[in-house]
Amino acid sequence: MKNIFSVLTIVFMLLVSGFWAKNIYAQDTQNGKTAMNEMLLAYYYPQTDAKSGISMRIVNRQGQVRQRRLTMLRLNQTPGGDQFYYIYFHEPADIKGMSFLVLKHIGRDDDRWLYLPAIDLVKRIATSDKRTSFAGSDFTYEDVSGRALDEDGYELLGEENLGVYSCLVVKSTPKRPGEAEFSYRKFWIDKTTRLPLKVEHYDLKEKIYKVYETQEIQTIQGIPTITKAVMKDLENERYTEINMKEVSYNVGITSDIFQERLLRRPPRQWIGE
Amino acid sequence: MLGKVYSLILIVFILAISTSEVLSAESAPPDSLKIESIFQDEKKQADSWIHIFDSVHGFIESAYGPKFAGDKLTRKNDYNLLEQRLQLKAAYRPRKPAWLASWNPEFFYKGDLLSDEYKETLRYQIREGYGLVSPLSWMDVKLGRQILTWGTGDYLFINDVFPKDYESFFTGRDDECLKAPSDAGKFSIYNHLVSMDVVVIPSFTPDVSIRGDRVSFYDNFLGRIAGKESNRIFTEPAVQPKNTEIATRLYRNFGEYETAIYAFKGFFNQPVGIKNESAKEVFYPKLAVFGASIRGPAPSLGGIASGEVGYSDSWQDTNGKNRLIENSALKYLLGYERDFPKDWRAGMQYFAEQMLNFDEFKANSQSGDIPRDEFRQLLTFRITKLFWLQTLEASLFTFYSPTDSDAYLRPRLAWQANDRWKLTAGANIFFGKHDWTEFDQLEGNDNFYLRLRYSF
Repeated sequence: MKNIFSVLTIVFMLLVSGFWAKNIYAQDTQNGKTAMNEMLLAYYYPQTDAKSGISMRIVNRQGQVRQRRLTMLRLNQTPGGDQFYYIYFHEPADIKGMSFLVLKHIGRDDDRWLYLPAIDLVKRIATSDKRTSFAGSDFTYEDVSGRALDEDGYELLGEENLGVYSCLVVKSTPKRPGEAEFSYRKFWIDKTTRLPLKVEHYDLKEKIYKVYETQEIQTIQGIPTITKAVMKDLENERYTEINMKEVSYNVGITSDIFQERLLRRPPRQWIGE
Repeated sequence: MLGKVYSLILIVFILAISTSEVLSAESAPPDSLKIESIFQDEKKQADSWIHIFDSVHGFIESAYGPKFAGDKLTRKNDYNLLEQRLQLKAAYRPRKPAWLASWNPEFFYKGDLLSDEYKETLRYQIREGYGLVSPLSWMDVKLGRQILTWGTGDYLFINDVFPKDYESFFTGRDDECLKAPSDAGKFSIYNHLVSMDVVVIPSFTPDVSIRGDRVSFYDNFLGRIAGKESNRIFTEPAVQPKNTEIATRLYRNFGEYETAIYAFKGFFNQPVGIKNESAKEVFYPKLAVFGASIRGPAPSLGGIASGEVGYSDSWQDTNGKNRLIENSALKYLLGYERDFPKDWRAGMQYFAEQMLNFDEFKANSQSGDIPRDEFRQLLTFRITKLFWLQTLEASLFTFYSPTDSDAYLRPRLAWQANDRWKLTAGANIFFGKHDWTEFDQLEGNDNFYLRLRYSF
């Protein structure tokens, strides 16, 4: 009798665990996607609009430094949806005054314009390839304005501590293989702020070749904000540091300013000199 | 003259030394980031007394363009470009008085000091010098010398009726020089439904056209390729209220498509009218241009497609019977550009120019007049590839006309050595069958050029 009971118990436990395991797998995918969505919202979409001053240091293998200083304005149309971006370059001297206007669309190519003040030219830029470098740095356009959630499949790998931060580890794999230069990426997402603390990029041979790391988070107007980060290119031994200054949210940017006029007449109230 | 050149070279040299110091101070391994940023802060404080110069920027550039064999017709035969250029620019945004500050004023200056070895001159030119204000929240007014651009073409212009400097373009100066400044007032009105620019140019500015001094060309008075001996006399329209040029653009976006319509009343920028044949006197006939353009993503292909049309109305020869004045024309332009992975970019354009009243043109032509087609067609191809994390740009721009049987190649390598130094090497190469076609007439001016620029 006792034996039968224990057999039944074992059978029951096996059944449950089997079911559980199956469910967990489905849940991993679902949780992975949820975590990623929350990360995208926390990182690329906080509040309706934002203004930030950005300094970039691009350091190559020889230790030579290139610097970029720019102001970025962002406006959300819908949370997680289309966005406006405006970028004005302050430095280096030869590109000072150049500006960029991006209308980011979910589900189709972005609209992108570049303004060259020296020849008063508003140039429309083809944007089929979002994986190109942003302003010669180790960040890509997609790193700057975010990659659409539906481009990848997700898997929650587990939890891990990164220093004092307790993180979810999510693996994201492009749905269309060969579309990106990575075969998959691994994200460490802080459970409290939902911000990415580390992103490892794996190439098509599944070798790690690029690492993103958050170096500083500040709370600005009550919103946890990444203010310092680095993207390291391990293969080419180069890296780009990014430093966010003068970040402010809800400064009153409206969609009617994101027109050709913005390029020709930079909004000094936000970008300064 | 040589003294000036030496002093410029000396300035370049001093700047070179100063940057190499800055660069070595900036380069540091990643683990010493903290320490370095402290150093930089100290440096900033020490430099604060030169804060006033922070707002002055520009570059100094040396350029040399030796000619391939070439014809021996121009003033100098070995080269068509040898010069040093100092460009300074500064902006000033006053915060007082309050009424002006509320207009968000901006004053901008950009000037070139050019030591031109070819012409053996030292020349100072204000490229831009304007005031820009917004008297109303939906209005901008820009008054003064300015660069004006609109339209969709890449090195081809239909509704962009503003002056160009083709001499610079053909000899290898920076692309910036292709656009010549206008002394103008630009009034812009912005609205959700439609926005508008009205440009008023009181004093006509022609293109910097080819005169034979630096670049040889087909002189129709001489009936052959001519250089410095070409002695055409150019007559510009007098500065009078009735000769004021007006250019307007109405534009709005429909979704991701940008559309515009254009209208212009003024003069041809090229001397396409002959006032007096025996005196070799040419002039700039009256012109009106009406046109439209559209630009946006190419459906299903990806990339950007554009189209532009223009009706060029030659007022002083409306019926085309006057063989001494350019006929009216219809111009069409189709463009397509797209990017590819690994920083490749390719573009192509088809341009056609249809001479109107072509029968009259043919009936009235005399022997010695340049033969023309009713439809002149032109194809352009641009291919660009960036290397070394976008610090080296290799590009080739090609013009090819199947109707004129001529071509023009513009290969170029531009290397941004660091944030300050840029080295550009390129060439201008012309091919063709007939001496009088647009590009073949320039065949004797093939050159190679090098430009070294230091930006600050």
